[in-house]
Amino acid sequence: MDSDRFDRMRRIGWLDMDRISRSRCLVAGAGALGNETVKCMVLAGFRMIDVVDMDRVAGSNLSRCVLFRDGDEGCRKSEVLARRAKDLYPDAEVRPINSKVQDLTEWDYDLVLGCLDNFSARMHVNSHAVYHGLPYVDGATDGMTGKVQVVLPRGPCLQCASNGSHARTADLRFSCTGDSHVFVPRMAAEITTTSVIAAVQVREAEKIASGRTDLCAGGITYYNGEDGTMDTVGLDIDPDCPNHPGDRQ
Amino acid sequence: MTMKITVVNTAAGGSIRMELEPYEKVSDIIDAAADYWGEGAGAFVLRKGPKLLVGSRTVEEVNLSDGDTVEMIPDPEGGR
Repeated sequence: MDSDRFDRMRRIGWLDMDRISRSRCLVAGAGALGNETVKCMVLAGFRMIDVVDMDRVAGSNLSRCVLFRDGDEGCRKSEVLARRAKDLYPDAEVRPINSKVQDLTEWDYDLVLGCLDNFSARMHVNSHAVYHGLPYVDGATDGMTGKVQVVLPRGPCLQCASNGSHARTADLRFSCTGDSHVFVPRMAAEITTTSVIAAVQVREAEKIASGRTDLCAGGITYYNGEDGTMDTVGLDIDPDCPNHPGDRQ
Repeated sequence: MTMKITVVNTAAGGSIRMELEPYEKVSDIIDAAADYWGEGAGAFVLRKGPKLLVGSRTVEEVNLSDGDTVEMIPDPEGGR
């Protein structure tokens, strides 16, 4: 019994470990959230994971990225993350994809987890997930606060929750030289917030992979680490959202 | 009919009273409040009780009424 890696998880009635192990997952982003998310995923029995990120490890990542080590600086984040994830669960098939998520052409997945650091990339992944009918679990942090949004097929998406302030923030991320690079400012970040948000993302992913979307948090879950509160706020489909043309009035 | 609502800034604290027409949009409220608090560089959402208010909807469509209180919440963007 104790030789079964997932024995303790099998004791949770609704967790379907077989379905979890067969779920084809995309993790977009291999930074702090991506590290925590992949760590939890492989420990939770997810085996088939693609990790997409264009970036390289920097020294400042080491305070928050559980699978990066001193000496990894300059290496591709997705490759390091994939290699170390296999150390945690050798049966996992973690595949690194060294590119911008905007350059992904294949969306042959069962589930997408967003671990990104800017609105533009989030909206890109969101629109592709909705278009392909894929469940999308997005996470975001800012210092001691964070949020998780579960996007299910035919449900409200990230764009439904956005407004002009998101568009303006996204615009600020493009450099004034007019090229296509996204400028991401050095935002406050702290590992405990990252851990909480990633854990919630993976728990929601477990529900989806187990076929229990009825258990998913409906709407957006906001976490405030300063006052220790977590609250889920309901959300409706925006009739003007371009991702939901069938719901337009 | 003009109505007055209270917008609470959950991040910085404090609140403001705003006078609104039924045709004004939720995103207009966010813009005005963020501008008042000098928060123009960030993204925010507006919450009334257990629901997030959809930005493209009007005050009338989201059933805001005179005396209501809404909360303006910063929307996190990071993940690195």
